[in-house]
Amino acid sequence: MTLPVLKIAGKRPYPPRVSEFTRTFWQGLSDGRFLSTRCAACAMRSFPPKPFCPHCWSGRIEWAPLAPQGTVYSSTVMHAVPAYFRHEAPYRVGIVDLDDRLRIATRLLGVEQGFAVGARAEIVVLAYEDGPLFAARVIA
Amino acid sequence: MSVQVTLVGAAAVPCGRIQSAPDAPIQSLEHEVLARCVIEAMRDAGLAKEAIGALVFSHPRPYTQQRYFGTFMANTLRIKVDGLLMEVLGNGMTGGLAFDQAAQAIASGRADVALALGVNFETATPSPEHMNLIMRATGDLDFHVPFGFTPISWYAMDAVRYMHETGATRRELAMVAVKSRRHAALNPLAQFRKPVTVDEVLAQRPIVEPLGLYEVPPRSDGAACLVLAREEIARSLGKPYLALKGRGFHHEGAHQISEVPNDMIAFGAAERAGRAAYAEAGISAADVDLAELYAPCTIVEVLVAEALQLVPRGRGAIAAADGETALGGRIPVNTSGGLISRGHPPYVTPLYSFVELAEQMRHRAGERQVKDAAIGIASCELGNYNAALVHVMEARV
Repeated sequence: MTLPVLKIAGKRPYPPRVSEFTRTFWQGLSDGRFLSTRCAACAMRSFPPKPFCPHCWSGRIEWAPLAPQGTVYSSTVMHAVPAYFRHEAPYRVGIVDLDDRLRIATRLLGVEQGFAVGARAEIVVLAYEDGPLFAARVIA
Repeated sequence: MSVQVTLVGAAAVPCGRIQSAPDAPIQSLEHEVLARCVIEAMRDAGLAKEAIGALVFSHPRPYTQQRYFGTFMANTLRIKVDGLLMEVLGNGMTGGLAFDQAAQAIASGRADVALALGVNFETATPSPEHMNLIMRATGDLDFHVPFGFTPISWYAMDAVRYMHETGATRRELAMVAVKSRRHAALNPLAQFRKPVTVDEVLAQRPIVEPLGLYEVPPRSDGAACLVLAREEIARSLGKPYLALKGRGFHHEGAHQISEVPNDMIAFGAAERAGRAAYAEAGISAADVDLAELYAPCTIVEVLVAEALQLVPRGRGAIAAADGETALGGRIPVNTSGGLISRGHPPYVTPLYSFVELAEQMRHRAGERQVKDAAIGIASCELGNYNAALVHVMEARV
């Protein structure tokens, strides 16, 4: 199962850097997969992905798909935004607790009203012209 | 602590727009503004410049053109020191770290008198461009920043979560802003001194929902200088002073957001730092007479007051609405007007907290004087209170 892809006109306002290590994540995202790292020693997952385990510091990590769903912990609509993002304002960002017990913060889409605390959300790919970002979208 | 650290002098300029536009023919200059503070603070202390053994500066904003600002200031005022001269940096905690290091210089015996000081000029840079810079502090540059967060967007999400969990209302939160203005109206150092009503607060344009213009920090420039000394010197000056009785620090090992889901609005770092500071001072939260809390938004004051046990968990907004945390209330919080009304020149904001404690606890705060202010606390933070630094001060005569 691959992630839903939303085509976005234009370029990413502040594109992420890609390292030899993190390219696995960004390439995966381009292919519709939401990957991160898991520790082979203590089994803890990490996000963002890391080449070592931040918990037990083991270097024995492996890439594994994350369940691309979670629950909205909080959100806000931003009206005052950095100049880089001016053309996208206002926009909504949120904190989502993934079902794999990882907390992420990202754009939040699909909120009709209020702040959607407790709502279920899924990860989607934002396919900008210059590369991908991810976002969470509230499941109707 | 074998050497008792004290605060014997303080001075600051009113917060506001001090920095000149880049093309202005006449410029206001950081070192001129800060030099005046130093001279005034030392006069307030009653000490000569030869007594100074250490200088700990808040690192200036990147907009300050003069490089190596701390050593340049030593040159400006011809201050020679045997103990220490350094600049510190720790986001919003910067000014608190300056105080902490100056105190450490005295506690360790490296200096008898130490200055914690700094200047923060930034208002000539328009907010959208300034946010291009500060957004890079709000998470992982590659996995959070590309979504367009700003520091206060995190506080807004605190507010949403808090209202969800406690049932606190927008009106109750907004009362923190009303209270702050009421306090600031009585503070000559404050940037916004005109009282506001709760309806005016609620009617402001949204900045980061649900927070509007009057519930988020203004843009401010500022400069402040604190004079710390070992207690023998403080006693010799024959005037009231403040003794540093407790200190607590905690960094929760998370930058802006914990990837392991936690109770984000518990402000665990503040709770731990507060507990440690109270324990060292041998007090409990109930002994605190006034608190200057680093709170860039209404919600942050609520959450940190709860984490420091000044008000019960879930009651912080109601306490503000009921006047419990206002002047004349059970535990006055941010009698200076706080960050949202006194002003928020970030790298020196925590220094202003100590300026207010120095005024209050030496009973020189005029109309906003807290009666019998004997024990005061200052807190500062970075991130979403991912780290906190708390100091307990005691008034001595």
